[in-house]
Amino acid sequence: MTDTETRAPRVVAAPEPPRRRRRRLGGGGPRAGTIAAFLTPFFLPFVLFYLVPVGYALWQSFRVVRRTGGQYGTSYTTFGGFHQYAQVLQNSEFWSSIGRIGLFGVVQVPVMLFVALVMALLLDTPLLKIKAFFRISAFLPYAVPGVIAAIMWSYLYSPQLSPVVDLLGHLGLHPDFLGPGAVLWSAANVSTWLWTGYNMLIMYSALQAIPQELYEAAKLDGASNWAIAWRIKVPIIAPSIVLTTVFSIIGTLQLYAEPAVLRQISSNISSTFTPNMLAYTVASGNNYQQAAAISVVIALITFVLSFGFMRLTSKRAGL
Amino acid sequence: MRNTASRVRLAAAVTAVASIAVLAGCSSSGHSDGTSAAASCAPAKGKVTLQYWNTVPGMDKVVALWNQQNPNIQVQMKNISNDQYGTISNALKAGTAPDLAQVGYDELPNLRTQNAFVDASACDAATAAKSKFVPWTWSQTSFGGTGVFAFPQDTGPMALYVRSDIFAKYHLPVPKTWDEYAADAQKMHAADKNLTMTFFDPNNAEWFNGLLWQNSAKMYAYSNDKWQVSVDSAQSKQVADYWQKLIDAKTVRTDLANGSTQMYAAYQKDQIASYVGAAWGYSMFRDNLPSQAGKWSIVPMPTWGTNAASGDWGGSTVAFMKGSTHLYESVKFNSWLNTDPQALALENKLGGLYPAATAGLQLPSLSQGVPYYNNEKIFDVFAESSRNIDTSFAWGPTQKTVNLSLQDAMAKAAAGNGTLTGALSTSQATALKSMKDLAIPAEAGK
Amino acid sequence: MSTPTAGRRSASRESLASRTAVMALMLVLMIYFLLPVYFLIVAATKPQGDLAATNGLAFSHFNLFDNLHTLFTRSDGIFLKWALNSVIYAVLGAGVGTLISAMCGYALAKFAFRGREFLFSVVLGGVLVPTTALALPLFLLFSSIGLVNTYWAVFLPSIVSPFGVYLARIFASAAVPEELLESARLDGAGEFRTFFSVASRLMAPSLVTIFLFQFVAIWNNFFLPMVMLQKESLFPVTLGLFEWNGQTARAPLLQESVITGSLVSIVPVIIVFVLLQRFWRTGLAAGSLK
Repeated sequence: MTDTETRAPRVVAAPEPPRRRRRRLGGGGPRAGTIAAFLTPFFLPFVLFYLVPVGYALWQSFRVVRRTGGQYGTSYTTFGGFHQYAQVLQNSEFWSSIGRIGLFGVVQVPVMLFVALVMALLLDTPLLKIKAFFRISAFLPYAVPGVIAAIMWSYLYSPQLSPVVDLLGHLGLHPDFLGPGAVLWSAANVSTWLWTGYNMLIMYSALQAIPQELYEAAKLDGASNWAIAWRIKVPIIAPSIVLTTVFSIIGTLQLYAEPAVLRQISSNISSTFTPNMLAYTVASGNNYQQAAAISVVIALITFVLSFGFMRLTSKRAGL
Repeated sequence: MRNTASRVRLAAAVTAVASIAVLAGCSSSGHSDGTSAAASCAPAKGKVTLQYWNTVPGMDKVVALWNQQNPNIQVQMKNISNDQYGTISNALKAGTAPDLAQVGYDELPNLRTQNAFVDASACDAATAAKSKFVPWTWSQTSFGGTGVFAFPQDTGPMALYVRSDIFAKYHLPVPKTWDEYAADAQKMHAADKNLTMTFFDPNNAEWFNGLLWQNSAKMYAYSNDKWQVSVDSAQSKQVADYWQKLIDAKTVRTDLANGSTQMYAAYQKDQIASYVGAAWGYSMFRDNLPSQAGKWSIVPMPTWGTNAASGDWGGSTVAFMKGSTHLYESVKFNSWLNTDPQALALENKLGGLYPAATAGLQLPSLSQGVPYYNNEKIFDVFAESSRNIDTSFAWGPTQKTVNLSLQDAMAKAAAGNGTLTGALSTSQATALKSMKDLAIPAEAGK
Repeated sequence: MSTPTAGRRSASRESLASRTAVMALMLVLMIYFLLPVYFLIVAATKPQGDLAATNGLAFSHFNLFDNLHTLFTRSDGIFLKWALNSVIYAVLGAGVGTLISAMCGYALAKFAFRGREFLFSVVLGGVLVPTTALALPLFLLFSSIGLVNTYWAVFLPSIVSPFGVYLARIFASAAVPEELLESARLDGAGEFRTFFSVASRLMAPSLVTIFLFQFVAIWNNFFLPMVMLQKESLFPVTLGLFEWNGQTARAPLLQESVITGSLVSIVPVIIVFVLLQRFWRTGLAAGSLK
């Protein structure tokens, strides 16, 4: 991550694209100025609102606060080396938030992707009717912002308002969706509800792109739909599954809105429940340097995990 | 080609370096002024416009009244109720703070640490105002010294709301001490499993702090050039142990948030017999539980032994913000806003504020019986409570962080994971660490 | 729905059993996906008092129009303002974002120049940057130049979509034939004219996809506006409803407005989604191929 960011600004976003060169590039291609004019509208804001903040966060994360003059003195910042990082790594709240989100990811991501995959495969078989209805219904939650989804579900979790709790109550069950053990999974459920259809559609689109001839032969040999699905289809769409996994990992590590909404109705979600909530809490205590270090660490973990996962899967696939 | 590429690269490198340098410049010049010495207090010539930010419902009408009577000192107000401290702290960073802003008592030290205030003691009118306020409030706004950084506006002296009918049903006299309160809680719960004495909201550090305040807990002091932090003092632990016992005995519930629909529903169903509240809460019950009119009384807080001390929960000040160029006029308006009977009456009527000014306690609306509470003179109870509040209590410079940490730990304790006393130790550690992070000199108090 | 020619008997028996099982499974899943939306619709039609008092899944007194009236008149009609803000952030942001992503992706696909692959890998790296990690540093930067608490604070960072560039590059490679560009160049058309009049037309369906992706990303965004904005009149609808939801504990009457507001803000988007379905599928297929 540091690598890309420190290297990036050197090449991109020349504010004044050189105009005077007339020489064309390779076989009648456009001039350098023209190329720059195509690239700059994206790369200028990309540098300003992506790379500069990353650089700024890095810079801040190496600063510490100092103070002069007594009880209500004046503060200033100075270079502090890896002090903030050491603080973050020693912070037990940080590790519990990472552990919580890790548990969340290890369970929620595979469950969600498995359900998505099964649905995509079922939609791709001749076994199912009214496919359009299923497809649209499952995809519908993607149109719902995370905050609103969490608000909707929070009503279904609330012991006073929820018809689900009512119904289970008639069956003699009294689950506490907002209790200390359950609330993490209640948040996970909101994420699953939101993203399963989206992931399903990615996999389904990939399935649709497979030429039918590929499994005609297998069908003629009498292979069951089941066998075709697991032996032929799944391996072919493996890249889509990798992609959805990587996006899910990134999403999980950024989790904020859903638990923040549930926090409004449950005291079992602390102010440091996810790494992002911790960063925000630390920042609102004016400790921006440490919040920056937390952000950098979250980003690093994200990179390591998503690159690591891609490397791992591409090695397995022998690519 | 090669030439072009390297020029592009150079230009970009220059841009990148320049922008980093700009950033560096911006952020390190943040708070460069020294500790605020008293500013000058010269009246301005001609017309002046003041900016005043607050969160009080109906305050626009109060300000309109002032503007009508004072054509030369016009006040523009802004409601910042949706993110009070975020707005103030952003404005401080951007150098666009108003002349006056509403700040809670517990946030005063934090903002002062950020150099947010100007000392108004250069104005005679400011120092003279001391006698007009309830003593403990003035000690908060002057930080126990001679400076004047804010005027007190409203307070939340605490008292006990009781369902007289439930107490009568079980032939229990209204408890005078916390021991009696716990004993009564036990008896009620034994008689009716669904009945609890009150509820403990683990996500309400402000309320819990009020209870600690009542027991003369000293959380912060300053000596030896260091903040002395004793969030987990013996007095605090006594309060924590007490509530832990009630929670363990299930004679108080922990599943209700203060002011929530669920809380009112529980009261509505006669499941809770009392409420440990503040002055501003009297209208909550009146408005949300109209069917229980006549069943409620307000009595003094149960005491720790024979110590009659009370505590405060909530309330705010109107602070003199740094950067104000019209200190004289700010003092004038602030003084009217918080001591003038006409202004106080309006604020009490529209915003439900319970005044910090002694003149405010004599308002007609605060001297009469209240129909909902059996025509009892409930405000006499609150006035008495206010007089009994410890004047030497002080908040810390990272109070918000400490409160959050306390709440997180209390929620865990309420869920059976740890104890309230343990939560105090966690908060003590958080207080020390958060102050160390901001280079505020601190040590564990003795 | 024809069964394979070979093994017809066994296959059809298999399918009868599996069809039922599959249908049952899918129906259960559909209940899961639709239940919260159904609950929201039912709840939005009820008066506040019936929320807790009646069964959440059954209609009671039909009060939808009153609820809508309350919603749109509460606090001087602030909800409409929020909805408009969301539209401004999402439609304009995604519009500008799509344009710049398309130009950049097209250039990366069709122009040969040094450092092209490097730039593309930087963009790909950008896809993996967790955007919430950018919000706090952006806030500090913006507050030092006075941009905090303005439309720009949310709008400007929203127009950047590395994923859009990635998609645009793939689409441009696939949809715009090299020969067409060559002939346009031979006709003396400038690169911009070629892009806007020839290439962008060929890319049009995929541009809709890019637009939709970015639209949803901005529409859903919550952390950035939460960090950047304090002024209620600048809020997008997500942040506004979050604020109201936080106040329902103290002002229970807000609950009905939160519910009705949630419904009002998702219905138009759901309709647009359903209408534009096919663009999602082409986009998602292309996005997953590489």
